Amino acid sequence: MDELNKPEQLSAWLEEARYVADPDMLTSLFLLLKLRKPLLLEGPPGVGKTESAIVLSSLLDVPLIRLQCYEGLDISSAVYEWNYQRQLLAIRMQETSQMSVSEKEQKIFGEEYLLKRPLLQAITQTEKSPVLLIDELDRSDEEFEAFLLELLSAFQITIPELGTIRATHKPYVILTSNRTRELSDALKRRCLYHWIGYPGLEKEMSIVQKRLPGIEPSLLEAVVKQVQSFRQQRLSKTPGISETIDWAESLMALGHRSLNNRAIEETLGAILKSSEDIELIRSQMTESV
Amino acid sequence: MKIQAFQTGSLSESIVAFAQYVRTHGLNVGIQETQDALHAAELGLMAERPSFKQSLKALFCTSPEECMVFDQLFMQFWDTNPIDLQQQKSKVNIQGSVNRKSKASVVMLGQGHTTGKLDEDARNVSGANAAERLKKTDLSLLTEMEASQLEEIARKLCREMAVRMRRRLKQHPRKGVPDLRRTVRHSISYGGEPIKLFHRMNTPKKQRLIVFLDISGSMDKYSLFLLRFICALRDHFRQLEAFVFSTTLKRISRGLQARQLETVVKNIHDHTDHWSGGTRIGECLQQFIDMYGKRMLNGSPTIIVLSDGLDTGDVSKLGEALAHMHARSKRIVWLNPLKGMKDYQPLARGMQAAMPSIDDFRSAHNLESLLELENILSHA
Repeated sequence: MDELNKPEQLSAWLEEARYVADPDMLTSLFLLLKLRKPLLLEGPPGVGKTESAIVLSSLLDVPLIRLQCYEGLDISSAVYEWNYQRQLLAIRMQETSQMSVSEKEQKIFGEEYLLKRPLLQAITQTEKSPVLLIDELDRSDEEFEAFLLELLSAFQITIPELGTIRATHKPYVILTSNRTRELSDALKRRCLYHWIGYPGLEKEMSIVQKRLPGIEPSLLEAVVKQVQSFRQQRLSKTPGISETIDWAESLMALGHRSLNNRAIEETLGAILKSSEDIELIRSQMTESV
Repeated sequence: MKIQAFQTGSLSESIVAFAQYVRTHGLNVGIQETQDALHAAELGLMAERPSFKQSLKALFCTSPEECMVFDQLFMQFWDTNPIDLQQQKSKVNIQGSVNRKSKASVVMLGQGHTTGKLDEDARNVSGANAAERLKKTDLSLLTEMEASQLEEIARKLCREMAVRMRRRLKQHPRKGVPDLRRTVRHSISYGGEPIKLFHRMNTPKKQRLIVFLDISGSMDKYSLFLLRFICALRDHFRQLEAFVFSTTLKRISRGLQARQLETVVKNIHDHTDHWSGGTRIGECLQQFIDMYGKRMLNGSPTIIVLSDGLDTGDVSKLGEALAHMHARSKRIVWLNPLKGMKDYQPLARGMQAAMPSIDDFRSAHNLESLLELENILSHA
């Protein structure tokens, strides 16, 4: 990969990786790469927040380390855990040896008994800076968010038994959130911020085109227009771009070449994910007939 | 007025000035952010306007709302022409000033000033009794002085309430899954024999509260005190969201943080056209669901509605909206000041529509009834 000097350069690379980003997003990604500050992406579901991290890692040709957040996520599943079974066995085996207690302790809390979870993996990479994706951070609880502060500002993790581990290669951190709750100000201050909204007609068409190169132009336009009109309505689950792609794909798989009522009827489940929404759209369709 | 782009000499100076400018307008921008902005400028991002703006935005903003403010500030700062400036001397102040507070409080107090006789009575009764009596007095009969006394009592009791609730969150030592980490750590001192088994258990979290306060005309006598009560609650529940509504909905959670009641009242006064006007509860709750539903109706919050249920809007909407909220919350508590009256029956159309979705229907006419909230809130 060549030296990166301008956000516009990124555009071409992302294009190759089949990711369409607007100039604002490019600037944010550029700053992420240059300033090495974590990037917080917020937006509704299915607009390509997670995808951007996946694309970035393949672009830089570095490993992607992903941490999926959920309520109750704690240090032992996010950072590290001691391998207790091995430790207990080791203690048994040491019983007959002449080592002192402190020597035993030092051995048992050595690196070979340490199970590395995503966050620790991310800062102990030996060759290259990895991309660390902390997905759906809003699902985790505040305690975990507070824990992240040390990692995100100093790129270090403290393990009481081992001491502080500093990152040898600073990871590129991307955090995503659906904004189901407000994240704390302390966390936000450590991050760059970018809001990804639903794309306009042209951008969405080019995204679907990139993903499904075989799609017929007329079908593409009809599908995207239809999805955009769905978004204008008050649905309980607004479809994202990934749903648009799914829908277009399923229409293609069923051999439809245009978007008529029968085609919509058959594939409505690919775009609308709640029974109320499906009923609403169905009733609108019968009305228009 | 803070200096603007045309008054600075170099780019880095203007960036620093801009950081100060947005800070004075409520954005949380510190030295670190300013440094990063200068660094970004060094990287060549200032050459073109869009990328310059976007990089500053990424660095300075932390929410879509802030992004909107930023756009405005960016324009004001970088595009202000000194010639224009002299023409319009009235400057744009986003925060709003506080100097009109007297007017606002008069509006809110309703008929509070009129009862001079009760005022004398209050002074004649000695401390402890007065406190007891105040707790039972109907809020609509309070004088302003009593109101502030009552607020003090409420604050104290709320503090006790929060502490009591926290104690209940203690962890059980013998329940839950074994905590291997502590067990192994501890066993070392016995030469590796896990003599004592430690346990871990999910601790119940403090619940989140969402409070809706009716500020329509029919609630006039109660709304100021209830607002004070929400302020007192705010100090003790970290996750509290508060809204006021009459014909439109307004979020006041942020304002409450300042703990300045006057500012809050003033703010409400400025932003709500129909202060002490009619009520459209259904539409306001629907507005809440649309704007904040996704963000706040998760993790089973407790919802408190302080209203008399006299709805002048579409009653079926109220039923629908409340049913929607009911499905996504732990419980809905409706506190109705009218319930304190003798022989009160929830016959108002709004109340009738709301009843199916309400878990707890209580009165809210005096402090004592408000403090019963503790029982509701502690069943987390």
